Amino acid sequence: MGFGQFLKAPEYDIKIITYRDVFQSTALESSGCGDEYAERSAVILLDKGDMKKMVLKDGRKAVLKNNFGRIVVHLRPSSYEEGHEGIGYMTNSPWSNALVSSETGGSGVPKFKMIKVSISDAKDEKVTSFDE
Amino acid sequence: MEKEYYVCTGCGLLCDDIEIELDGGKVSKVNNACLKGVARLKECNRPAECSIDGAPASLDDAIIEAARILKEADSPVIFGMGNSTSQAQKNAIEVAKRTGAYFDDTSSFCQGPVVEAILEGSIRTCTLDEVKDKADVIVYWGADPSNSHPRHLSKYTYFPRGKERQRGWEEDRTAICIDVRKSDTATICGDKFYQIPPQADEELLNALTNGLSGKVPKVSFGMGPKKILELANMLKKAEFGVICVGLGLVYSLEEIEPLVRLMDKLNEVSNFHLIPMVGQYNMRGSNHNLHEETGYINRVKFTGNDVEHGAHCSVVELLRTRTVDAALIIGSDPMSSLPGSIAKELLDIPVITIDPCNTLTSRKAKVSIPAATAGSECGGTAVRMDGVEVEFKAMTETDRMCDAEILERIMGEL
Amino acid sequence: MTNALEIYQLLPKTNCKQCGKATCMAFAAALLSREVVVDDCPPLKEDKFKENYEKLSEIITPAGEASESGMIVHTEKCIGCGNCVVACPVNVAEDPYGAGSGKAPTSDNVILRVEDGVVRLSNVSQCRRFGKNKILCNGCIVTCPTKAIEFV
Ligand code: SF4
Ligand code: SF4
Ligand code: SF4
Repeated sequence: MGFGQFLKAPEYDIKIITYRDVFQSTALESSGCGDEYAERSAVILLDKGDMKKMVLKDGRKAVLKNNFGRIVVHLRPSSYEEGHEGIGYMTNSPWSNALVSSETGGSGVPKFKMIKVSISDAKDEKVTSFDE
Repeated sequence: MEKEYYVCTGCGLLCDDIEIELDGGKVSKVNNACLKGVARLKECNRPAECSIDGAPASLDDAIIEAARILKEADSPVIFGMGNSTSQAQKNAIEVAKRTGAYFDDTSSFCQGPVVEAILEGSIRTCTLDEVKDKADVIVYWGADPSNSHPRHLSKYTYFPRGKERQRGWEEDRTAICIDVRKSDTATICGDKFYQIPPQADEELLNALTNGLSGKVPKVSFGMGPKKILELANMLKKAEFGVICVGLGLVYSLEEIEPLVRLMDKLNEVSNFHLIPMVGQYNMRGSNHNLHEETGYINRVKFTGNDVEHGAHCSVVELLRTRTVDAALIIGSDPMSSLPGSIAKELLDIPVITIDPCNTLTSRKAKVSIPAATAGSECGGTAVRMDGVEVEFKAMTETDRMCDAEILERIMGEL
Repeated sequence: MTNALEIYQLLPKTNCKQCGKATCMAFAAALLSREVVVDDCPPLKEDKFKENYEKLSEIITPAGEASESGMIVHTEKCIGCGNCVVACPVNVAEDPYGAGSGKAPTSDNVILRVEDGVVRLSNVSQCRRFGKNKILCNGCIVTCPTKAIEFV
């Protein structure tokens, strides 16, 4: 209990790149509403340097938000050898899709691969659930 | 004893060498399939329920209610299709014609443009069997098959021995990966991995086309002309090359032309083919079936004898602009696969789902009709990612109806 | 946990000595300590013991543990892609038109195969890294996208 709780958590802008993960797809085949699927989907992988800079800690949760949505996901450092400053990785899922823009310019194709969000510490908030 | 082989419907690769063991009428063991395929062919943990307005209902009632919703709607949309047999797709097209519905499938926001270019003959393609027998240069662009189509490299492209590729992958084949991140597939490609920044695909396509035309290739990111020419040369020297195009590339292109231009150039100086990495097992079949019927691969509206086509008929635009007043969704889960800001429009209209499993969409649906899982519980035909038709038979018996039959019953009620 | 008695139950129980041990029970104990491999028992390869042979192969090379050639499969990482199955030179030599051509293995002599979505080992004694003519083969290591195979 410190001052921290009264202060707004600092926010940083990042881009999200989505990818496919076979373990996540496998969990989806078994049950798109299951815990394992959620465990594997509601995660953002950040550059280690970024995590330090943003004072975000492994195992904590993060709020990701933009004009289209707001979600709370688990936060982990990525295991990539090379840095990827300013970019976070998420698997394709309802969680990443919650942040995809509805602007399509009439093309019929949403910009799935261009997700810009602000990220901040989620404090005590629970991970977003679509399974109500 | 002759072994009996089955087909896996886990993805657009439709692996046809699956062995199974049954126990008490259920698939208990699945051999030779990848992890994803095994999950698909074994039962889902949470099968869909038959319900109307969230309350359990009989199948007959659900079918009658579904028909009523479609009949009463002014402009319904029929959507999904990638996980349906070709027969189910044809039946769905009939339902769309009868009800004057919009008809679209997942290719609309996936591989549609690429399949369209192939069917129109503006991009050269080949079969995976040819790739296995002949290909020496294999490019994965914006694709990570190790996660999306796990057996792609082992069954057809990189590792297997083929008729003209008898000496094995180390000597006979080169696999190249171009992507925005070092994926599992990129790791296998080793020093043949070319990392590019997000949205830089078009630039690299153009640079390669230039390089192959004898110009100095330039890009705005940290890849020098030497490196680009080295890549261009590998492509040029190919005896039989193939580019496997993933969603990463499709999504980053505004227009498909830069890709078509590179393919044309490659075929002037070399011998190149393109295969779309189609995700769902029969997405390509849906494109073929609608194309046969209307000349378009997706995004149509049936009105009397007329067919309207265009981006405004895509499921994304229809929902975004609130044009439709009912939806029939077959084997697809738009509540998870579409942007949340668009999918939420489905909450405001009556939705009918036909799906083997309980999905985010089926749970919000007004009518949810459980279907048998194609591949394990019902047979049919499907079109593999390379356009080859594959027939498959059921592995087990079930009392659930196949989606083709459910659609036929709905048609009967209309 | 498997014990020697369970293994013994699956052996021919004829004490034929073809494996070089005095009794089937002794062979079971040796199997348990990984001193011998299932294939060292010739009668087990006869058709009538096919089921037992398969069961034993499963028990004796359990996933995640080092087999006698030092090969470890981290099953939790394996995605069943079959890259190792198709690339392994022994698989290619034993089954050129099945495993070696990207299809379901058609020979019982292959080392690697995929069952229930995960790689399974058999005939590990045939691995090129093993035995008197051993070489540093790494076919199954470099082709694995998830680093699920390791040698210790
Ligand atoms: S690669 Fe696709 S079709 Fe082949 S076994 Fe895996 S999921 Fe099934
Ligand atoms: S080390 Fe070589 S011979 Fe041994 S299992 Fe791996 S690929 Fe096969
Ligand atoms: S290559 Fe690796 S992931 Fe693929 S089947 Fe073999 S051990 Fe499993």
